[in-house]
Amino acid sequence: MPTDKKITKEDTWKSDDLRRHIRGGGHDEESSGSRRRDDERRHRTGESVERRHRDPEREARREREKNRERDGTRERTKPRDTDKDRHQDRRKDDSRDRMGEKEERDKERSRAQDRVIKGTENVKYRNGDRDSRDKMHDRKEKENRDRERVKARERDTERTRERERDELRKSDRDKEKEKNKESETGERDRERKSDRDRKRNEERAEGGRDRDREHDREKRDRHKEREYLKETERYKDRSQKDKERKERHTDKEHSGQKEEREYREQHRKEKEERERRHKERAQHDTGESRRHDGESREVESERVHRERKGSDREREGKRDKHRERRHREEAGPERDPTERTSAKKSSSSSDLRVHKDKTEPVKTKVEIAEAPAEDCGYDEAQDYEEDFEDYEEDFEDVDDSEGEDEKQTRSHEEREAREEISSQRREEIEAIQRAMDEENERVGSAQPRLSTEEDDRPKRSRDSETPQSKVSQHGRFMDFVAAKHREVSKKVASKQKKRSTELLRLIDLDYSITFSLLDLPPVNEYDMYIKNFGTTNTKQAYVQCNEDNTDRDIQTEEIEMSEKWTQHPAERNVCCGGPKLSHEASDESVTKLSIDSQRLATFLRSASQVVAVLLEEDRAEKQSLKKLRTQADTLSFSDGCLQLNTKLPFLYGRQISLVQFSQVQRQTMLSVHNPSAKPSAVRLDSKTIICIWNIWEPSRPQKILVYESEVQCCCFSPGKATLVFAGTSVGSVVLWDLREHASAHYTLRIGENDWTLRHPTFSTDAVLAASGHMSSVSSVEAVPATVAEGLRPELPLLASDEESSGLSFQLASLDGNGVLNLWVVLELPKANDAGSHTDLGLRPGGKVKLLHSSTVLTTSERSSTRDAKKTTLLQTLLLKFLPSDSNHFFIGTNMGLVNHGTSHGLKAPPKFYRPQVVGFRPVDVASIDFSPFGEPIFLVGCGDGSVRLHTVLSEQPLMEWTSSTAGQPVVSVQWAQTRPTVFCVLDAASCLHIWDLLEKDFEPVITEKIDADRVTAMAVFGDPAKQNTYSGISLATQSGKIEMQYFSKRLTVPESADLEKLQIMMQEAF
Amino acid sequence: MTSTLVRQAQEWSVFKAAVVKECIHDILREQLSGVQYDPDEVGVLSRSLADCIKDKLKDVGFDRYKLVVQVVIGEQRGEGVKMAARCFWDADTDSYAQDIFMNDSLFCVAAAFGSYFY
Repeated sequence: MPTDKKITKEDTWKSDDLRRHIRGGGHDEESSGSRRRDDERRHRTGESVERRHRDPEREARREREKNRERDGTRERTKPRDTDKDRHQDRRKDDSRDRMGEKEERDKERSRAQDRVIKGTENVKYRNGDRDSRDKMHDRKEKENRDRERVKARERDTERTRERERDELRKSDRDKEKEKNKESETGERDRERKSDRDRKRNEERAEGGRDRDREHDREKRDRHKEREYLKETERYKDRSQKDKERKERHTDKEHSGQKEEREYREQHRKEKEERERRHKERAQHDTGESRRHDGESREVESERVHRERKGSDREREGKRDKHRERRHREEAGPERDPTERTSAKKSSSSSDLRVHKDKTEPVKTKVEIAEAPAEDCGYDEAQDYEEDFEDYEEDFEDVDDSEGEDEKQTRSHEEREAREEISSQRREEIEAIQRAMDEENERVGSAQPRLSTEEDDRPKRSRDSETPQSKVSQHGRFMDFVAAKHREVSKKVASKQKKRSTELLRLIDLDYSITFSLLDLPPVNEYDMYIKNFGTTNTKQAYVQCNEDNTDRDIQTEEIEMSEKWTQHPAERNVCCGGPKLSHEASDESVTKLSIDSQRLATFLRSASQVVAVLLEEDRAEKQSLKKLRTQADTLSFSDGCLQLNTKLPFLYGRQISLVQFSQVQRQTMLSVHNPSAKPSAVRLDSKTIICIWNIWEPSRPQKILVYESEVQCCCFSPGKATLVFAGTSVGSVVLWDLREHASAHYTLRIGENDWTLRHPTFSTDAVLAASGHMSSVSSVEAVPATVAEGLRPELPLLASDEESSGLSFQLASLDGNGVLNLWVVLELPKANDAGSHTDLGLRPGGKVKLLHSSTVLTTSERSSTRDAKKTTLLQTLLLKFLPSDSNHFFIGTNMGLVNHGTSHGLKAPPKFYRPQVVGFRPVDVASIDFSPFGEPIFLVGCGDGSVRLHTVLSEQPLMEWTSSTAGQPVVSVQWAQTRPTVFCVLDAASCLHIWDLLEKDFEPVITEKIDADRVTAMAVFGDPAKQNTYSGISLATQSGKIEMQYFSKRLTVPESADLEKLQIMMQEAF
Repeated sequence: MTSTLVRQAQEWSVFKAAVVKECIHDILREQLSGVQYDPDEVGVLSRSLADCIKDKLKDVGFDRYKLVVQVVIGEQRGEGVKMAARCFWDADTDSYAQDIFMNDSLFCVAAAFGSYFY
């Protein structure tokens, strides 16, 4: 039986505990003045009393129930056993307490113990103190109790009546729950008043009691606790009142035990049932909430739950608050009289609770053990809860009456009467309370859902009749479940605490450096301005830039003006100009013009030549092929022939006196046309015309040079054929610069063609009379100035060098009197269009002039030294320079001798070269020609028709052919350009003899008689470096025709034996 | 022992300032781009930003951290502003991340502090 068990347990524990504590209390008393006890006392006074006054009510309720059970089920066996047990316990208590009344108090204590062990201890102990020490007080109490007993008996009768009524009303109760609360408020007020009354009564008694009981110690405590005193007293009053009530009950118990037993039996059964239910509920707290019917219930249970939670959360430190609130709730009903004090003390009382809480772990076990007992109470409460509403109406009635009663009755009698009434009600009220508690508990589990109703809670708690007792009961209710929680959570808490302390030891907490989260510097004014007006900035910038101004500046500059003139067709080389050439525009144009014209002109000149040559070649080839066929039979040596177009009006009827090729530009040929005797349409009759040909361009001469008098001799400048020199019959030396522009010369228009007639660039006519020639110039020869020994001047490489380095040669001219003049050819850096004042021989615009260098008298020397008689008639006819050494010159004379001289006074071994025939004969040396292959040998052709082959080293000729021309005077002798052993001899009879020394060294290989026209001049052409190209002989006729005869292959293809033959011949000579 | 704690802390998701900063940055840019300063709205905005950042950080998963997010929004008026924070914490594990968002009309400073929870 749970009830049995619980009770006995409680009792046994209680008694043991009591004794122990009594002993402890005694000990404490002995060591009076210790602070600990003071604290304890404080708890006791604050807490335990509170508990006590809470618990008694419940106990009383239970007592009553028991009584009821007893009354009802006294005959039953089981209950009886329990009853007996209880009675036995009680008897023990009685014996121990000595006083019959104490029985109730003990019981009360035993129940109060659940939570407040110390409180109960204190009570007991106080009681004990009271009992043992203060007999006076006991006596007073006894008296009181006696009185109360009397009243209780009276009340008993009422209660029996009431119970009957209860049973009748049970059916209605459920409906009246809501109203019940309202009635509770009324009842609370009533109670407050009664409390006040009681307090007044009991304060007096207690004051004495306290004094008596706690002689010195209590007094001290009281001093300290004076603050709490009122509160304490309130609780004490309560407890006192409860005690009284219990006493009443005990009285009742004695009188109507049977009734009570019956009731108890019933309730016990109910309890068992409810207990089970409760346990289930405790297990499924959340589920419970579903069962709640009424709002009020939920609210109440919610509060209870909160309170329970409060107890659970004690570890979490929230407990204080809850307790405080609970305390306030408890104190609520009593606020009217002691509102201020309670408010004041709430904090302190909460403190006390904290202390008490510390002691709680000790109690938890007890609480767990007692949990079933609590459950019983709880079950009862639940039981009653259902009947709640039934009471409602009655309560209202009774409340009213009671309220009146309270007001009227101040005396004991009146109070007793009221208590009788209230005692009846109290049962109901307590039942209601229990019910509410249970509801609270249930709702508490569902509390989270009902958070909206929390606001109502304080109000309602105040409305509820005796909240303080409820709370204490709840505490007990919850202990069973809460204890576990508490234990567990306490373990956890301690664990955590331990952990935290350990961790704190390990973790270094320190102040971090100050992190700069934001550092936004103030914006200066300009930036702010820009920021605010940033969008419009473009416009401003545009205004500020003001690009238009710069444009205007440029426009306001003055326009430069300059005068220019231009002329077309251009006279001379200037086509445009102005009086004042402005620096920019006109200069540019001038330079542009000059650049363009000059470069273009030079380019065109060269390019046009090339193009013209190509065209001419093409045409000439066709023509020559025709001619070849026609004339092939005429010339045996000829491979073909080409006729230069000399049928020009101004050349008509002129005899060609001389034909000569340039040493370097081997295709360039000049032909000297002597003035014709016949008058012609063109007035050039008295003048000599020199035509410069390009043999590839036979249709017309390249340049036409004009000179007033007869030209005796003519030669090209060494190197590139840019200059033409001529010696005249009047003893002057003239030169033409072929580079001069055509515009600078007079152009003659004949027919459809324009002919540029070039007058000499420079002439020594009358200018250099003193140093000039007194007789006609017989020969002019260019002297390479810086030709080293062994180097051949005709080398193209050298020529090009000469060209680039300017003119670097001298000119030698020989007149018939043996005067050899050397001239320096000078090229002026800049042409002067106006002409030179100092050099009158220079043509205006000309750039090349001659300066007299030296004069060598070749004949006078000889005449003086050798036979003067003979030399009187000596005429120098021909001048040749040794190609390998320009210091050596060879002069052909009219005595058949070739004189050898040197320009710088050097002595050369053979002074002259003579024929093999001893003795002087008046024979003109007609022609001298050096071998073009570098051999120091030369041919001499004489007027008597003999041809000699001389070496430079020997006076005697290597070979001499006297009869080869059949007595005809030799006009010209020339080596072939491609074969060293071949040479041509032209005689006056217009016979051409071609010798090949390799083949025949006694007679010419080919002798060709040209009958059609008398050949007056001959020149061999060909390029020794290019054997297979055209090489041949140009023949100029008396009628003015020029024929180019190409040698046949056998005469042009060189043979290895050629040079050997020459060598052998030279060796044979020595 | 401390080192093991630290290691332990690192095994859990460590409060990575860079990651957090990126989160904050993203959120700030996302929610503040083009926003003009309005004194009436900024209060709500800053609160929502703070919540947003906090939620995001929780999603990222700093399970063992207590997070504190502070968002300050101010108007750009050319005045200088200085903000600083100082923490009493365990420098080994605790950290913070902060990012600033600025546009023409406002600046926003969001700082997230993570304190390791043992």
